[in-house]
Amino acid sequence: MLETGLIFRALMRNKIGALLIALQIALTLAIMVNAIFMIQDRNQQMSRASGLDEANTFYLTNTIFGDNYNKQVNLQTDLHAIRNTPGIVDAIQINAIPLSGGGWSMSLQHEPGDDKDTIGSALYMVDEHGINSLGVELIAGQNFTAQDIQWRESGSTKWPPKTIITQAFAEQLYPDNWRSAIGKTFYISQTQPMQIIGVMKALQAPWNGWSGVERSMLVPFHMDSKNSRYFIRTEPGRRDEMMPIIEKLLAESNKERIIRRVSTVEETRQRSYQRHNATNKILMTVIITLTLITGFGIVGLAIFSINRRTKQIGTRRALGATQWQIMRYFMMENLLISTVGVVIGSIGAVALNYWLVKTFNLSPISVELVLFGVIALFVVGQLAVLYPARRAAMIPPATATRTI
Amino acid sequence: MLVMKNINKIFQTADIQTHALRDFNLTVNEGDFISVTGPSGSGKTTFLNIAGLLETFTDGEFTLDGKDVGSLNDNGRSKMRNEKIGFVFQSFNLIPDLNLFDNVDVPLRYRGFNAKERKARIEANLERVGLSSRMKHLPSQLSGGQQQRVAIARALATDPRFLLADEPTGNLDSEMAQGVMSLLEEINKQGTTIIMVTHDAELAQRASRTIQVKDGRVSELEIVSKQAIA
Ligand SMILES: Nc1ncnc2c1ncn2[C@@H]1O[C@H](COP(=O)(O)OP(=O)(O)O)[C@@H](O)[C@H]1O
Ligand SMILES: [Mg+2]
Repeated sequence: MLETGLIFRALMRNKIGALLIALQIALTLAIMVNAIFMIQDRNQQMSRASGLDEANTFYLTNTIFGDNYNKQVNLQTDLHAIRNTPGIVDAIQINAIPLSGGGWSMSLQHEPGDDKDTIGSALYMVDEHGINSLGVELIAGQNFTAQDIQWRESGSTKWPPKTIITQAFAEQLYPDNWRSAIGKTFYISQTQPMQIIGVMKALQAPWNGWSGVERSMLVPFHMDSKNSRYFIRTEPGRRDEMMPIIEKLLAESNKERIIRRVSTVEETRQRSYQRHNATNKILMTVIITLTLITGFGIVGLAIFSINRRTKQIGTRRALGATQWQIMRYFMMENLLISTVGVVIGSIGAVALNYWLVKTFNLSPISVELVLFGVIALFVVGQLAVLYPARRAAMIPPATATRTI
Repeated sequence: MLVMKNINKIFQTADIQTHALRDFNLTVNEGDFISVTGPSGSGKTTFLNIAGLLETFTDGEFTLDGKDVGSLNDNGRSKMRNEKIGFVFQSFNLIPDLNLFDNVDVPLRYRGFNAKERKARIEANLERVGLSSRMKHLPSQLSGGQQQRVAIARALATDPRFLLADEPTGNLDSEMAQGVMSLLEEINKQGTTIIMVTHDAELAQRASRTIQVKDGRVSELEIVSKQAIA
């Protein structure tokens, strides 16, 4: 026979301890559920594809210090040499690296003029090898040709007439049908027209926390600059082997420059999400610590109340309770306390989430997650009470007559 | 019927051995009212605990209602306790957090009776001890004598064959003790076998049989059956 009613009535006469544990369970649930939610949110951000062939790409900075140096000729020579090195798939000069944290963005608009609605996009300057070097997938339209590539003087505000954009960007510009973006024109720098000639599946912006991180565009530019970045894609699995080879090739071909900051895209991703990973670890630690504290709290309260009720337990045994019936009493008692805790905790979790949504612009929590937290805390409670309950069951029946 | 043959009980602690019962022999018949007296530490409680299946014994033979108690495991002893034995303690041992109704309910829950059956038994037994008007009271709101009556109601609620009482009047003043004693006599008349440990010589005399325990043995057995005299 379950004695829920008796347990509940007995519990109501010793409310304080039980209530404190219930509140602790509630607090743990509220924090746990929201922390897991935040972890999931970050994991989801980190799992988004950058669009790049991350495993087989790297980049470096080429800094020229010589005065008599033809930058335009030299860029062509460099790219030609790199592209023709066995093991290399393709290479480009580029103005910014996805996920690196630094880059360009521009505001685009459907109509020319200075009072029109605009939408922001990351901007990458590449040549006709851009698609292949980055490893992005062109899913509609076409690539730039060699004739499309213009030289950009530093400080120039003139833009070329063609662009390739990401699908996410196309969807934002043409919500009804992103494919209709091909051939359409939008305006950059308020008045300069640009025609969309291609759409790529994905290419993330340099800023992982930006809400428009999936909006990027390629612009057919070579940069006439003393400081430029080369982005290189190798044959699968040969990246680490090729990095020093390319560095040496460039460094030795011309002594009036230095090659710096040779790094892989994977390193960039890792650096980009360092804060995410660290925060996740902290949140995980908070969850585990809180759960342990709650677990030990339950153990403590149970041991305390069992020690206080030694004679009563002996009496129950004398009246015919089996060991299992004694164990079940304390497990049931814990279940009641946990139930109060998770009810308050679920309300708390939703309230905390509501505040987080308002303050940090997170999305609302899922019912499944709250349910998971509820079950987790029930399990923690039952596990925590197992040892004390077992101890209670071991109290000898003779305690009823042997203690005063 | 309760039969003990050559029961020995040795308490073994880290460095001392206490021989609490030595070749203890006793037969208790249906309907007996036995009082057990003896000096402090002589083994009375040990005997009662073994008789009530609260403790196991070291060797010997013990049969209760024809059942060999030595062969029972903890579970079996618990069930037998619940079915055949009612306990009354010196300090009442009511559960302080439960009202009288719920206190009497405790052994009935362990038996697994349904709610209707339990309610009927609780009410009937509280009635029997004269406390049916206080079912919602807590033990702390009652006098000692009343608490012991509730304990007796609790012990009787399962309809046990044997009622075991370890100094049931030890914590009561003499007037309350008389009341409890009268109640026990009445219960015995209604058919329940009673074994009662007591220090009170006068109360002991009121039993149908009196045994004395000394140094763990039944030292003297006065087979003075009142019914026989009467
Ligand atoms: N759990 C125990 N461990 C060790 N010795 C015990 C235990 N219980 C009782 N004893 C000893 O057994 C003897 C008999 O005790 P008990 O039956 O309680 O005597 P009584 O009830 O006649 O006063 C005493 O010497 C007592 O100290
Ligand atoms: Mg004693």
